[in-house]
Amino acid sequence: MPEKRRARTVVLAVLLLAVATACGTSATPGANGVDTRSASGAVGTPAGTIVELGSGLLMPMMKIWAAAYRQKVPGVTVSVNGGGSGLGIASAMDGKADIGASDAYLSSGDLVKAPSLLNIPLAVSAQLVIYNLPGLSQGSHVMLNGQVLAGMYDGTITRWNAPAIANLNPSLHLPDIKVVPVHRSDSSGDTFLFTSYLSTQDPVWNNDHGYGTTVAWPPVSAAIAASGSSTMLADCARIPGCVAYNGISYLTQTLADGLGYAALANSAGRYTLPTPTAIQAAVAPFVALTPPNETISLIDGPAAAGYPILNYEYAIVSTRQPDPAKASAVKAFLDWVITTGNSPTYVSQVNFRPLPPAVAILASQQISRIG
Amino acid sequence: MAPATTRRRILPAASHRSLAGRTPATLWMLMGVLVLLSLASGALSAWAVSQHSAAASSVAAVHEPLSLDAQQMYEAVADADVTITGSLLASQQPPQGQLQRYRADIAEAATSLADLKDAGANPQLTAAITAFSTGLPLYAGYVAQARDLYSVGYPLTGGSFLQVASEEAHLTLLPAAKTIYAQENAATSAASDQATGLPTVIVALVLALAAGFALYRAQRWLAHLTHRIFNYGLVGASIVLIVSVVWLVATFVVARSDLDTGLRQGARPAEALAQANIDVQQIRGDAILNVISRSGSTSFETDFSTVQAEIGPLLSAAAGNAQAAPYLAAAQRDAPAWYAANEQVYKLGASAQYQAERDMVIGIGPGSSAAGYNQLENDISQALAASQQTFRSGANSGASAFGPLEGVVIAAALLVAASSAGGLSRRIAEYR
Repeated sequence: MPEKRRARTVVLAVLLLAVATACGTSATPGANGVDTRSASGAVGTPAGTIVELGSGLLMPMMKIWAAAYRQKVPGVTVSVNGGGSGLGIASAMDGKADIGASDAYLSSGDLVKAPSLLNIPLAVSAQLVIYNLPGLSQGSHVMLNGQVLAGMYDGTITRWNAPAIANLNPSLHLPDIKVVPVHRSDSSGDTFLFTSYLSTQDPVWNNDHGYGTTVAWPPVSAAIAASGSSTMLADCARIPGCVAYNGISYLTQTLADGLGYAALANSAGRYTLPTPTAIQAAVAPFVALTPPNETISLIDGPAAAGYPILNYEYAIVSTRQPDPAKASAVKAFLDWVITTGNSPTYVSQVNFRPLPPAVAILASQQISRIG
Repeated sequence: MAPATTRRRILPAASHRSLAGRTPATLWMLMGVLVLLSLASGALSAWAVSQHSAAASSVAAVHEPLSLDAQQMYEAVADADVTITGSLLASQQPPQGQLQRYRADIAEAATSLADLKDAGANPQLTAAITAFSTGLPLYAGYVAQARDLYSVGYPLTGGSFLQVASEEAHLTLLPAAKTIYAQENAATSAASDQATGLPTVIVALVLALAAGFALYRAQRWLAHLTHRIFNYGLVGASIVLIVSVVWLVATFVVARSDLDTGLRQGARPAEALAQANIDVQQIRGDAILNVISRSGSTSFETDFSTVQAEIGPLLSAAAGNAQAAPYLAAAQRDAPAWYAANEQVYKLGASAQYQAERDMVIGIGPGSSAAGYNQLENDISQALAASQQTFRSGANSGASAFGPLEGVVIAAALLVAASSAGGLSRRIAEYR
């Protein structure tokens, strides 16, 4: 009997090895030309559950990737949990998540406290400024700039038909309703991106409030605090006169809820929409600048035709995984995300853009450090 | 001196017969023992002198300057990062004075690094020096990139490069500089211990005393044998031996006392002050990191409390140098106000009052963290400089105290051996 069991074990091991080899060799150059296996050295059959926590903006994309990856590698489940970028970073720092998702790169403080953490870009995203203006057709877009948005959030602009907004939109008939600014109550990468934009465009906002994943919001009586991207969207859909910010991955739902999104002023003073072309144009000047650890702000860049609020969506991962099997599984998944997962088939579903090839190569180099 | 034949005649007949049989052999043996003892004592004394002199010289001329270089390297990088970050946060076009201070810091770090490049073959030290030399140009490159982006009006992208630069400083350069300083400090302590250690000198003295005792016994024995009080060769050897031993002891006492004073009043206070300075730089650097860290919730408040608690005892441990005392007193007086300013900084940061926090950290008005830092850092640096001067002076004086001693003990040993041999060979000749 023991011999029989041993023989069965050997056969099983050979079969597993064959499957492992097949999975390993199936990796092909992906959307950005990065060869998964040669880049990170992640081979073998990863198995188990990868826990992802963090960015609500990245969550819709991560769900699509997780489902597709499960089909490709049935042994691996990516558990997508959301919770906000702040939670994503904190969870990656204390080991509660294998992947912390964040719209913002790691701060210097985080990195100095946890030097084993990496911020690895997974895709290019943009942020929408959304509003609930009854009577305004969805095909038209209110034009807004940082100063006007700062005024709406600090309570100096209280009506939608206020001259500051109307002057920017002479062709639109703006309703005479109260401005209801909605902001995030949790530590949020979306807040980081939005307040970064306000800070670059409005020196007063920069001086008085600055930017961050959390900020001291001005005390505006009409303001509403929402926890999470979905709540932000739901609140805005519920309240006429709302102005809010949310990731482009929620665009479909935004439109379905009857909300509009703004054309935003960029550094050249042009009003642009978050189209694939405008996002592509905006990210281009930053590609060569991106440093090896890929910490870079893409807000309000120099491209004249570029959309001003965009960012790399980051996976926050520790180079020191609890065991080789987990390290291998995380590496294989991230490698797949920045290659196959970056193809338009996937990223276009949530209006993301693929990583530029040079950025994907840096990402691949970072992934190879996970061990 | 009487002719040998005359001397032989005065020996009693029985003694003469007996001694004629074994005395020459004994005398030859005695001569061998004395020559060997004096040469061995001289060689060991010369070796001890050369070891101590070399150790004292290397403390003064090599280790202390290298330790100072390592400490300055840490301080230069910490100050460079604080200066450039603070000035770019305050203005997209930093004032020339701040830029010059940043450039001077980088130049000082590079100069100190060049001095340290051949500091030793210790693998930890070599690795740290390599990390620092690779990281310094990277750091300066990121700062240059940040400055370019700030100057063309992209403060956020410039800010992220400033973050990358600070990360390079805090994760690579400062830890490497700290390791180099710790290694150099340990090397200075080891060299100081060698310069002030006693074992080799004691062994040399024991050997010299043995030679002296052998000379004394030989003279007693010869006096008894020949009824002549003095053997001039052995008397001469004894005098030379006594002079060389007194010289050796006096020099060691003086050198050790000078070095000991330098260590007690200079090196030890300097070590405590250097650590206090590193702690002050760390608190300042962390406060700046807190200002530029807007994408996470990490706070350095706990680290601030821990490091702050170390500074007071370090300042107390640095007492004992009269020249440093006024600066030390000033540091102890100025520290609490700076701690209070930092506590306020962390409170502002925790409540997301970023502008007020930034003003408190980089503003130079009275009561600001920056003003308090400049004051405290200046106090500690002055106290440190005074302590280092005391150490340098003690180490130099200790090293120079050895003077020509090495040559003296060698010459003395040769003279003792020659005189002993000369004195005894005359007695041996009486038996031919």
